[in-house]
Amino acid sequence: MAVSGNQAAVDLVELALKATDAYDRPDLSSKLRFTRSRLADPSVRVLVVGEFKQGKSQLVNALVNASVCPVDDDIATSLPTVVKHAESPSVTLVRESESDSGEPRPAERTAVPIDQLAQYVSEAGNPGNRRQLTYAEVGIPRKILAGGLVLVDTPGVGGLGSMHGAATMGALPRADAVLLVSDAAQEYSKPELDFLQAARRLCPNVACVITKTDLYPQWRRIVELSTGHLTRNGMPAEVFPVSSTLRLHALKLKDDSVDGKALQQALMDESGYVRLIGHLQRGVLGRADDLDRRSVCQDVLAVCDQLAAGMRSELSASENPDEAAALIADLTRAKGVADELRQRSARWQVTLNDGAADLTSDIEHDLRDRMRAISREAEKSIDEGDPKDTWDQLAVWVEQQVSEAATANFVWAIERARWLAGQVADHFNGSGVESLPELNFGQGDFSSGQLRDLEQPVQEAYGIGQKLFTGLRGGYGGLVMVGLATGLAGMSLLNPLSVGAGLLFGGKTVTDELKRNKQRRQADAKVAVRRHIDDVIFQVGKDTRDMLRQVQRTLRDHFTTLAEEMHTSLSEAVASAQKAVRADESTRGGRARDLRAELDRIETLAVKARALVGDRVAAELGAGALS
Amino acid sequence: MSLTFGGSQLGTSVRGLLHNASQVYADSPGAHEWLRMHLARFDEPLRVAIAGKVKAGKSTLLNALVGEEIAPTDAGECTRVVTWYQDGPAPKVLLHPRGGPGVAPARPRQLSIHRRDGALSFDLGGTEPDRIDRLTVDWPSQSLRGTTLIDTPGIDSLSADVSARSHQFLAPSDEPTAADAVVYLMRHLHSGDVRFLESFHDRGVARATAVNTIAVLSRADEIGVGRLDALMSAKKIASRYRSDDKLRELCQTVVAVAGLLAQTGRTMRQTEFTALSELAKLARSDMDGLLLSADRFVTSDIGAESSASGTSIRTVLDSQVRAGLLDRFGLFGVRLGVTLIRQGLTDPTKLSAELVRRSGLDDLREVLNIQFTERRDLLKARSALLALDLVLRREPRPSAQPLAVQLERIMAGAHEFAELRLLTALRSGAVKLAKVDRLEAERLLGGEGGAASARLGLDPMAGPAELRGAALESLSKWRRRAESPLAGRGVADTARVVVRSCEGLLAGLPR
Repeated sequence: MAVSGNQAAVDLVELALKATDAYDRPDLSSKLRFTRSRLADPSVRVLVVGEFKQGKSQLVNALVNASVCPVDDDIATSLPTVVKHAESPSVTLVRESESDSGEPRPAERTAVPIDQLAQYVSEAGNPGNRRQLTYAEVGIPRKILAGGLVLVDTPGVGGLGSMHGAATMGALPRADAVLLVSDAAQEYSKPELDFLQAARRLCPNVACVITKTDLYPQWRRIVELSTGHLTRNGMPAEVFPVSSTLRLHALKLKDDSVDGKALQQALMDESGYVRLIGHLQRGVLGRADDLDRRSVCQDVLAVCDQLAAGMRSELSASENPDEAAALIADLTRAKGVADELRQRSARWQVTLNDGAADLTSDIEHDLRDRMRAISREAEKSIDEGDPKDTWDQLAVWVEQQVSEAATANFVWAIERARWLAGQVADHFNGSGVESLPELNFGQGDFSSGQLRDLEQPVQEAYGIGQKLFTGLRGGYGGLVMVGLATGLAGMSLLNPLSVGAGLLFGGKTVTDELKRNKQRRQADAKVAVRRHIDDVIFQVGKDTRDMLRQVQRTLRDHFTTLAEEMHTSLSEAVASAQKAVRADESTRGGRARDLRAELDRIETLAVKARALVGDRVAAELGAGALS
Repeated sequence: MSLTFGGSQLGTSVRGLLHNASQVYADSPGAHEWLRMHLARFDEPLRVAIAGKVKAGKSTLLNALVGEEIAPTDAGECTRVVTWYQDGPAPKVLLHPRGGPGVAPARPRQLSIHRRDGALSFDLGGTEPDRIDRLTVDWPSQSLRGTTLIDTPGIDSLSADVSARSHQFLAPSDEPTAADAVVYLMRHLHSGDVRFLESFHDRGVARATAVNTIAVLSRADEIGVGRLDALMSAKKIASRYRSDDKLRELCQTVVAVAGLLAQTGRTMRQTEFTALSELAKLARSDMDGLLLSADRFVTSDIGAESSASGTSIRTVLDSQVRAGLLDRFGLFGVRLGVTLIRQGLTDPTKLSAELVRRSGLDDLREVLNIQFTERRDLLKARSALLALDLVLRREPRPSAQPLAVQLERIMAGAHEFAELRLLTALRSGAVKLAKVDRLEAERLLGGEGGAASARLGLDPMAGPAELRGAALESLSKWRRRAESPLAGRGVADTARVVVRSCEGLLAGLPR
């Protein structure tokens, strides 16, 4: 279904392309070509996220009926796994990296034998992702994936502040849908709801999956309680109770008798996967498809509108030459407006430029502010203790706080960017434009959100030998000083007084040295924390700035093209209306007939476009496009 | 034995100190009341709090430890108020209301007890949970005689004030905690768990410690998704956590326990055993089909046509009975019970003992015994000294000066505290020793139990001569280390404390 719908859209775009070529409007053609290329990539990403040990990997396995993601009683997944359609099974490991200057390098892709996947993505084979991979890509021939569905299994979140949490957040804006997985052992806990809340701000299509219903007799209560929590917190999301065990068991049954078939069917029904797959087909693929078709319809209708504008004005001028003057005046005024929009000094340009500048500085300030608070807190705790003992704890704390702050900052930046896009579009209101371009947040799939580790400052060993040396040095001074003074009193250089003074001085020098060492360690630790935070500000700040610049550029290009198109169409309309007025009676009659035929042809195209999305939606879109 | 003797000696001196203090502070009603309370607490059973995240299985474990279903349990979040379970002559539930700022709390009021199917429930009588300081449940039980168990609301709860109540109880910011020791339940180690354990570690005088905390990997049967070998793999995970440096700093040890199985094992009824035996008679393939999912177990009607004996499962066990069975045993418990009966365990008492053994409850009880009960006096003394320290800091007065000196002397002088401090230091890695030496030092300091044989790493049945030999050997080894000029100060200090422990051991052995 999804495929045929897509095909119709592609056909429509092809038809419209022919029309724009025929009427010699290369500006409109290029726009349609872009639409066509967007249709060519049908992949729809679904992120499977949740706390660890909730059955995320098993869910993906049960969906595609193959053990693509390793499952274990202990924490299993350490690397995101992307599962997509392929003609033959394959496994590719992808490593995205940046050069020292922060420029993204092309991703390294390594194909490995399928049975070795577990070695790379599991916590046992690749603890803490020691191999520095970004993600693994698994291709597998499955009907469920053929429609462009891409499933992404992620490592357990373990709270918003953790590293995995930040990485998952970074991948969210590029996802088309999210499945939040938790098991039926308990209702939602606070960390899970916090995560859900943040996720919903980045990706609107979130569904909740409650797994392991085979194991917990009380799962209905849990589903009810969890749904209650969702509604109470203003996050109505669909909840799907499923049992991966039942589905995998049912798929394994090979009994072809009537009873066997019935049992298999019953197990399938009980597993709850029918509804979940239905959601993936309709709610995710279908919705992505709907969105595609909607935007195609909108594009084609806009093109029809532009093409028809010139002819319609010429037609009405040739039919009613008396009103032609008023018509031309109207058109000229409209053209003036379009001209204004086209100018570099147009109001929307100002809004966009100012807005983007404000946004960048706000976001940067927010990031700096958050980081400064962390840095101050860290310095305070360094002062309170000796970094020699507390460094490990401190490092974990700092990294957690930093990634939490960076995530919050990122979410805020995206929200503000979307808002800005809406503001700019407001300037075009009433000119038949309500479409916003697709905004692209973040470059890599999983690279944003991955921060460098905090480096431990090198600590000098202060051993016995050094202590002895320092002590001797101090002691020598004391010995000589007091020895000389007592020498005046006729004692030898080495007398009890001078030896005592030597020991005293030596001891003091060693204590001083130890104190100095501690102070140096504290200073070193502070520098390390500050450098880390500086690094993060630099890295995250650059990522965010890049993203915002990208957004600004996309918006500018989008709206500039739009203004150009409007201008061209209106100029043509004015010109043809004037031509019609100048022409004589007989030519006018013939021209009107031609024009009507042409307009009919364009109308057919518009009808097809409207048919693509159904009448109700078309009425909505048409109201804007053909006014 | 010298150590228990030393313990009671410590108890006497701490008790004397508290007495003196309450006399000095006789004119300050607040402080006097506080000290009296702690003096009374000194003679009460050890207070063990059971804490953990929401739905970690705290109440279930409490029931398992007591051996009766006295703490209410539910599929949803259940415990919302801190509840104390203590031994008493007759069942009685008291509700202690919370006082407002500047308002003295109202008098405790008695609640009515309902009992359904052996499970207890009580009606709060319309009082809001946040108006309640705590509930105390008196219950005549052998298991509660030595320890008072305290059930706490889960942390990370969605209702923030429930979480806050737990935090307030276990890690109050301004007072020593009301619990002497904590059993911390977790399903998997989560960053929230670590944060909570860290905040439970008090600052204060005794500067302790991981010594009064035990972590439990709870709901162990669910870790392996209810497979028969689930508990084995849970134990493996527990042992991984045990060697995790971060957790070693925070708690004594990690034990895996299947709470539901333990609770049911200890309270199994004859009817349930009969039901399990009936299930064991089913053909294996039917049984597998039945145990595929919880829903199937309750509703399906396997056996009607396929079983040779012609008995349908429905005629033997109607679905209500099966639902009840599932509620009490869980899918894993049913599977295990049936398998055990098939293997020939046809005696209900033996079966229930085997279920309890497999659940890991015995391990937990042994650990509790070694870590908490044997150290009872020590933990009690520690709580009391913390309380006294608070009074001395809050209301300093010249006449209390000798008390502060005495407190300082006990803290610094009592060898038990020195052992405790050193144990914590060793566990947190503050003292650097080679791994083998560190483990040996921890053992000699009583990290694995206070008994002489446990400290020396010998069989509990070892004879006096053997114990003596081992103690002498350890003594001379650590004495050499203490006196070695090459040893760093930390190592030498450690060795000196260990030497004292060895000497104490030797003195306690019968000649």
